[in-house]
Parts: sequence; structure tokens; C-alpha cells
Amino acid sequence: MISLNVNQKAYQVDADPNMPLLWVIRDIIGLTGTKYGCGVAQCGACTVHLNGEAVRSCVTKVSRAEGQKVVTIEGLSNNNDHPAQVAWNEENVPQCGYCHSGQIMSAAVLLRENPNPSDEDIDSAMAGNICRCGTYLRIRKAIHSAAELQRKELSSR
Amino acid sequence: MSTGTVSRRNFLRTTGITGAALCLGFSFVADGKENEVIVTTDAEQSALELNAWIKIDSNGLVTLIDHRAEMGQGSYQSVAQMLAEELEVNLKDVNVVFAQGDPKKYGGQITGGSSTIRGSYKKLLKLSATAREVLITAAANKWKAPATECYAESGMVIHKPSGKKLHYGELVADASKLEAPKNIVLKKRSDYKLIGKPLHRKDTPMKTNGAAIFGLDKKLPGMLYAVVERNPRFRGKVKSFDDTAAKKVPGVTQVIVVKMEVFNTIREGVAVIANSTWAAMQGRKALKITWDDTGFEHMDTAEVYLRQQQELKKEGLSFKKQGDPDGILATATKVLDVVYQTPYQAHSAMEPVNCIAHYQKDKVEIWGPIQAPDWVQGDISKKFNVPIDNVRVNMTFLGGGFGRKAFLDYPYEATMISKQIGAPVQVIWTREDDTTQGPYRAGISYRAQGAITNGEISAVKFRMAGQNIDHWSNPKRGVPNDSTTEGFLAPYFESIKNISFADVPFEIPIPNMWWRSVYASTNGFAYESFVNELAHEAGKDPLDFRRTYLKDERCQKLIDKLEEISGWKSRKKNEGYGVAITECFASTVGQIVKVSRSIDGKVKIDKVWAVMDCGWYVNPDIIKAQIEGSVVMALGAATIHEITFKDGMVQQKNFYDYPMPRITDIPPIEVHIIDNDADAGGVGEPGLPAFSPALTAAIFDLTGKRIRKLPFNMATV
Amino acid sequence: MKSMLTTNKRFWLPVKTFAVIGIIGTIVGISAFGFDDPREAAPVARNFVFKKDSVASVKAFKQVYAVLMSARCMNCHPAGNIPLQGDDSHLHTMSPQRGKDGKGIYAMKCANCHQPTNTPGLHTPPGNPNWHLPPADMKMVFQGRSASQLAKQLLDPMQNGNKNMQKLIEHADDGLVLAGWNPGEGRTLPPMSHAAFKKAWITWLTTGAYAPKGKL
Repeated sequence: MISLNVNQKAYQVDADPNMPLLWVIRDIIGLTGTKYGCGVAQCGACTVHLNGEAVRSCVTKVSRAEGQKVVTIEGLSNNNDHPAQVAWNEENVPQCGYCHSGQIMSAAVLLRENPNPSDEDIDSAMAGNICRCGTYLRIRKAIHSAAELQRKELSSR
Repeated sequence: MSTGTVSRRNFLRTTGITGAALCLGFSFVADGKENEVIVTTDAEQSALELNAWIKIDSNGLVTLIDHRAEMGQGSYQSVAQMLAEELEVNLKDVNVVFAQGDPKKYGGQITGGSSTIRGSYKKLLKLSATAREVLITAAANKWKAPATECYAESGMVIHKPSGKKLHYGELVADASKLEAPKNIVLKKRSDYKLIGKPLHRKDTPMKTNGAAIFGLDKKLPGMLYAVVERNPRFRGKVKSFDDTAAKKVPGVTQVIVVKMEVFNTIREGVAVIANSTWAAMQGRKALKITWDDTGFEHMDTAEVYLRQQQELKKEGLSFKKQGDPDGILATATKVLDVVYQTPYQAHSAMEPVNCIAHYQKDKVEIWGPIQAPDWVQGDISKKFNVPIDNVRVNMTFLGGGFGRKAFLDYPYEATMISKQIGAPVQVIWTREDDTTQGPYRAGISYRAQGAITNGEISAVKFRMAGQNIDHWSNPKRGVPNDSTTEGFLAPYFESIKNISFADVPFEIPIPNMWWRSVYASTNGFAYESFVNELAHEAGKDPLDFRRTYLKDERCQKLIDKLEEISGWKSRKKNEGYGVAITECFASTVGQIVKVSRSIDGKVKIDKVWAVMDCGWYVNPDIIKAQIEGSVVMALGAATIHEITFKDGMVQQKNFYDYPMPRITDIPPIEVHIIDNDADAGGVGEPGLPAFSPALTAAIFDLTGKRIRKLPFNMATV
Repeated sequence: MKSMLTTNKRFWLPVKTFAVIGIIGTIVGISAFGFDDPREAAPVARNFVFKKDSVASVKAFKQVYAVLMSARCMNCHPAGNIPLQGDDSHLHTMSPQRGKDGKGIYAMKCANCHQPTNTPGLHTPPGNPNWHLPPADMKMVFQGRSASQLAKQLLDPMQNGNKNMQKLIEHADDGLVLAGWNPGEGRTLPPMSHAAFKKAWITWLTTGAYAPKGKL
């Protein structure tokens, strides 16, 4: 049994410690927002937060996450209202939508560490996430809007 | 649910239609004549007869049964947006449900050919307006007032003189007893409140919090997971296998041989079934398989193209011909005779191919990212000898399709596995499977000959040699088809008096399938590149040259717009500009690409301008998004992607050797849409073909170097 | 340590004597490398014989250089801020940035993909618990450096992370250096074994750490 904390909920999972966190989250815990895209850390569709870092869950053994804090897209916010989620909706970013769980999880780390990212910062943070529909220009735009939303939220607190 | 036939009642339950309500649909007439709108209250009864597209319940909630797939192109939003417009309801009160595969109810359901809007908008607008009118009539009857004094707004009927209001929900019982009025007058474009507006997509919120269910996300009770190690060669079979180690992997339950039928070819593999995807993958790694490779072709890429070039010496099947291009080419003094080459391409949707099948005696249920549920239904019914009404094909959201998910191989294979193991099963294709198994966009070689006389095009002759889907899938091999002219603008036929197109049949056992914008994606490169070469040969500006040859009014407007937005005429010395205009699924897109050299000497794309003329349209923001995305996909197709073959096997496997453009690679893209009331054209695909010829023309403009073979490396231009 | 010493002795024997300048004592060796704290340096220094021999030193560095310039070492010592990748040392796909601490930035930190151990399979991220590039203030670039330049750079405390002789010698057994010889499936190893590299490295350092002349 492996103890996991996913989206602030404790789970005891009976899994091979070598099983990637991705498949534990999807097939055992049943949270399917985290996607399989390549299995080799090339596309970022499987990005989750492990202790706040945007790890690629397809190559992260579940044993690495044992006792650590895991957050998936389902747990990023309570009401789809993380600034990145709000901005993604505002800027009509997704097309097929499959990669965007990963895109948003990556963007959330960027926004936490850099409240006012430049285009270059955005590219540096997001180059690990592939979008076959080609929504990149909107991702960039949405991250700028999210940063602004976040700054407003902070200043109104 | 008992076993046996799947009743309409069950269909209605699953789509959430029960109880008293107003249902509207078109009755299906076998001869395909203009169908009548039918209105009814008894949803269960109505669904027997109706192509049930809209239902309004007693709470006023509108359910729209979307008979097309949502794979990113935005039909989920635009179909709802059209309905809400004519029905006069708030968009938020429209609930979209994906239809199951049923051509008797919905007609053709294939989401391809950018056909969702252009194929159904008139019907849907009429249906929605009819619903609005019966609701108005029902309210008028209740108030004993003339219907002309009433109007509909935000899901209510309002009596203008008195200000009385009734919600649709309160009217559905009465309305459903009325006859559908004839001669419905649709709104004028100027009266639209929703259509033509860049409204937010209804599916976005569930795509930002993980709630959207794609094929891979669907779970059924008792469902097992399977991965299949298929013969790496097309048409390869399994000779023998040792599953001792595979079966020792915890979670692995069964290992079986499975065959996959792809049109007329069979490919075999060994399926590992387990209680988790990971266990199945581990079991697969532990398999020891001996392949039976008899009957496959030891082909490689170089050979494919060599054969194509040989074929191009033949005349081929003439598709369209006017005047005497051969005669003129034989005598002209200024003749261009060049070959263009385009590569095989994988679809590489972010959601790899996958499918759930549950085979039970005389019924089959399928769940998956499926572009053509009606085809799947028919195919499964036929191949497994199950009555067609007992085959239920459910569409989930598609994590990209691009044509790949209109293929029938993967639902077939999943059904095969479910039948053998006697349980519902989800078959997952790994990224490597998705890349190596095909089907692919066919790689095609083109021969283009043209004559310039007195600065004008006097003759053009195009020939293509490459796999033609219609020849391959169709018993009518050897009959020319319009694949040959796809992408080429019809007005050229008015101005180029001597022109011919031909398709030289080329067969090779590589499975191929539509790929976003289909033959326009490759034809567009060859034909528009050649127009650019002819313009150069004639000493004309490529944009003005097109102005001369595309006399059609819509084309002229589009050319003016391209010129105006791109600064074509005021370009600077160190900038390269290129243009191309292509037709695709009844829409015309023109693109201008601007390039320059960066400090390190490499050519970089500074900007892409695109002008879309798709006629009547629903949501301009979705159109812009589709074009932006098409340009990105075309950028990969032109400068990175090529599926190559060696000894009958595909050499690319995953994003590490078939890399996708990333956020760091994308130039600014500016999209303009031409406003006009012409019939709606396609949106999802037409943005793609013009990019590569515009890009290579821009590079020629900057460097003097002609690129006739895709893909090419931007870093070494 | 014992075995290392033995190995070194064996290595020392064939060195041509005409180039031997002299035997440098422990203390001299330490001060030559600017050690402030003799306690720190003492254990290593005591075990090594420092004997200047420019020919042996240069010869040893040739071997060291071949290893350092191999993809396994150079890929994480790039000239720019993006690591290199593959046997052909192309720019790392998805352009991860060095970051201040060498561990990447934002959503692109090394450890997001590079696990504590190698991920099984071809084309998967190799792993190490401490995967990183040299930090931004001490880039220790290998890419593009001549043997001469690199030798000087390796010895310069301003450029080598303030490593003294002891630390330099120890660095041969650093976890990430060792990772070069456990690169994950499908990657070419450095041109010699780790033991041979270490021997050459220590020889180079203990024979006077001569930088080859000009461009090699």
C-alpha cells in the first residue's frame, strides 16, 4: 500500500511502486483530467504538481510521490477559478482541449514564481507542453491575462 | 437493461429525453428529399420517427443532440449558437449531447470535410425557428391573442401589448400538439444577436478543470485495459508468441492474438489485457513474439518516391482537361517542367487512438473518440454479424482527430478483443503505436508543366502520383476522382484556357487516410507553388498575377484584403514575402508569409497573415482559432514532419523523433474574415493548405532558392 | 582511497623522467591551489604524491578532455543556457533554461522530468537525484572550449565553483559525473571507463595540472 495525498485527500493505493503516478491517478484513483500523451516526458499532457512543481507524471514513479503533496487539474481550484483557468476561458484557448490540463498546470507554476512574466518567460515555462491544435498564441495571451488577474486579486486582498 | 435489442426507450434515457416535452426533428425520408419538420410531445414515440435534434423540457432546458463529433473545431459551440439564435433562448440553457451513431436518424455523421456547419446549418436554423414559432403560437392560443402580437426572447414568449410572459417550459405541452408551420422565415443576418459573434465556447470550462470526458477517460464498470503489440510491418501477422513472462506481471489477466482489419488488409498483433493500463504495458514489454512477415513489402521511402517519379512519366487518369495543354507545351518556347514532393504525415492527435468496446452476444456498445459513429456502427454490425440497431456507438470528446479517428480499424480491434475476453475493454494505443501504425496522409509527387507566352500562362499540366484514398478504399479503382483538383481554385479554369489534371495510380500497402484538409494539403503546395513559379517566369508580382487569373469577385476581394493587411506593396529590401490562395471544402483562404534573416543568418518567419472567405459563418473567434491552429499544423508539416519507411516499417515513434512545433516556434498569425452572405463553407481545415506554398515563396523572395520538396529544414535554408 | 593510491602509483611509473621538475610536498600543493584550510585538504593531499611532469600532465589531460567533450559530459556544460541532448549534442528539445541555480525554471525544472533514477526505455529522461546544470554564476562551459582553455578554466577557482585541489580530485566521483557512465538506454558512453578517466584526471592534477599549449 502506498499513501498518497492527491488534491488534499488521502489515498491508500495498492500499486506497483514503479507504476507511473499518471496511471495511478487515472486508473486507480480515477481522476482522468491528467492526460496520457507520450509516456516519455515529451508533451506535458500529464503535468501535475508534486510539492508545487510541475512534474511529468508519466515518468514519475508513484513511489516518488509517496507521502508528498500531489495536485491535479481537478484540485487546482475549487471552482475552476485559478487565474489561469479564468484566463483560459476568457481567451478561448482550448480547441480539442486534451493538452490543456497539462498546459494550465505548467502555467500555474509560472504564475506562482513570476507574477509578471514576459513573452520570453512564458516560452521558457511552456515549451515543455505540446498542443497539436496549435493554441500557443492564445496560451501566451491567456498567461498575460492570468498574471493581470492574479495581480488584481493580490492587490484587492 | 435486458439483453436483446436496444430499445428506443433506452436511447432516450441515455440522451436524457423522458417525459412531456417539445421535440422537434426532421422525419427521415429515404429518398433524401427536403424533409419536413415534425413536432411532437411524446419524446419516446417521436424518437422512433424523428431525427430528434432539439428537445425542450418543462423547465425550459433545451437539449440539442449534436450528431457530429467535437474534436477541437468548435461544433459543440457553433451548433448551439445557431440553435439559440433562432430559438430565442439563452446559450447557457442549451445542453449539448453527442448523438450515437445512427445514420437512419441523423443522416451522414462523419465529422470530416469541414462539413458540420456547412452541411447542416440551414436545417438547424429552420428547425430552431420552427420550434420558436410553435411556442409563440401556443402562447398566443393561451392568451387568445393574435400570434403577431407575440414575440420570443430569452426562452420566453412575450405578449407585446400587455407585457405578459410565458416561459418556454410552460408552453411545451401545448406546443407539442401543434402542427409545424410551413414557410418559416429565418432571421436576417442584421438581426442576429448570437450568430456572427465571438462568443465563448461552451466546452471551454470543462476543458480547463479536467471534467471533459475524452475517449481515454471513459470508464465502464468491470472494464479491463488492453495494449496490443502489433506486427511492425503493414500486413504482418503473428507466427507464435510466448506469454509466460507477460502473464507473470501483476494485473495481467489475458494474452490473446488479435487481428485488425484495415480496409482490405489485415494486421495481427498480440493483445495484453490487464486491470490497469500500466500493467498491460508492462505485460506487453515482457512478450516474446515471432512475426510472420510473409506477404509484406520490403519498401523504403527512397523507393516510394523513386517509383512515384517514374509514374509521373505516364499520362495517368485524366480528371479535368480543357483546351490543348499538350499541344501548347510541345511548341512553347518558355516551358517550366518541375516536380514537387510532399511527405507522408502522421495525424498525431494529442489523444492517442483508443476505444472501448463491450461485446455481449448479440449486441455491441462502443465508446470512444470517434469521427464517424455511423460508419463504425455499420462496420461492426457487418463484421460481427450483429443487427445494426444493437450496435451503439457513443462519441466522447475527441482529443484531436484530423481524419485519423474516422478510420474503422481501432473500434473493430477493440470489439474483437472484447468478444474474445468476454468483458468491456479499453484498447489504448501508446504514442508509439499511434505514430507507427498509421494510417497516414499519403506522400505525393507532382509533376507540373507550364508554358508562358507573352507574359501570360498559355498552358498548365498537372499530374500527381501518390496513394489515392478513393482508389484504395473503393472497388472503383482506376476511375479518376476530384482528389486531383482539391485545393485548386475554380476561377483559374476561367482564365487558364489550356489546363489539365491527371492522377497516375500508385499503389503501395501503406494505410492512408484523410489528414486535415486532405489532398488540398499537398495539392495546395504543388499547385500554388507552381503559380508562384509561373508568375516569376512571367516577370509578374505573384499577388498581381493572381489578381489577373482569379477574376471571381470573392477572390478579388480576398486579394485586396491580403494586400491591405500585409503591407505587400511596401515591403522592405531584406524581407521576403510569399503568397498562396487555396480552396478547401467550399472556403477560400489566402495567406501571406513574411520572412527575414535573423542575426545568426537563419531564415525566420516574422509573420503570417491569413484571410478567410467561408461565406456565412457562426463564430468568428472559432474561425480565427482554427486558422491559427491550421497554420501551426502546416508549419510542422512543411518544416519538420515526415514519416519514413525502412524495410516495411515506420521509423518515427514518438515526439522525440516526430517533434511538434512548440510555443517557441510560432510566429504571430493575423487572421481576417471576409463578410459575405454566400453559402457557408468549411472552417476546420481550409486554413492549412495555403501556408506551405506561401512560406516557400517567401523564402524564394528572400533567398532566390526554390523549395519543391517538403519538409525542408528552416535552419539550413 | 587505498585502491586509488595504488592505481595512481601504477600510473606514475612509466612517466618519462626528463620532464619531472620535482617533488612537490603536501603543503606546497595545497598553497599552490590556494587552500585556506589545511584540515580540509589534508586527507587527500596526504594520499597523493604531487610531482610536476608537464608531458605526463598534458598527455593525461588529452584523455580528460576527450571525456569532458563527449556528449555525456558536455551536454550539461553548454555554452548557452539551454542544455544539449543526444549523442550529437543538439540543443535540448523544449529549450529548458538553466536558471539561477542550474536546476531549471518555472514549469521546466530539470527534476520535473529527470527522475532520481534513469527512466526505463529508449528516449526517456535519464535520471539522477541531483540533476542540474552548473549554476548561472559559475557556468563551467565545456562546449566550444579548446583543451587549453578548458584546462585553465577547470583550475580557476573563480570559474570552477571555488574548488581546490582536493575538491577537484573528489569531483571525479561526483554523483553527476558518475551519471555520465550510467546514461540510460541507447546513449553512447564516454570514450573510456570511469576508472580510466579518474586516473587521467588525477594524473593531470597531480603532475602539475598543465594546460596543453594553444589549441588542441
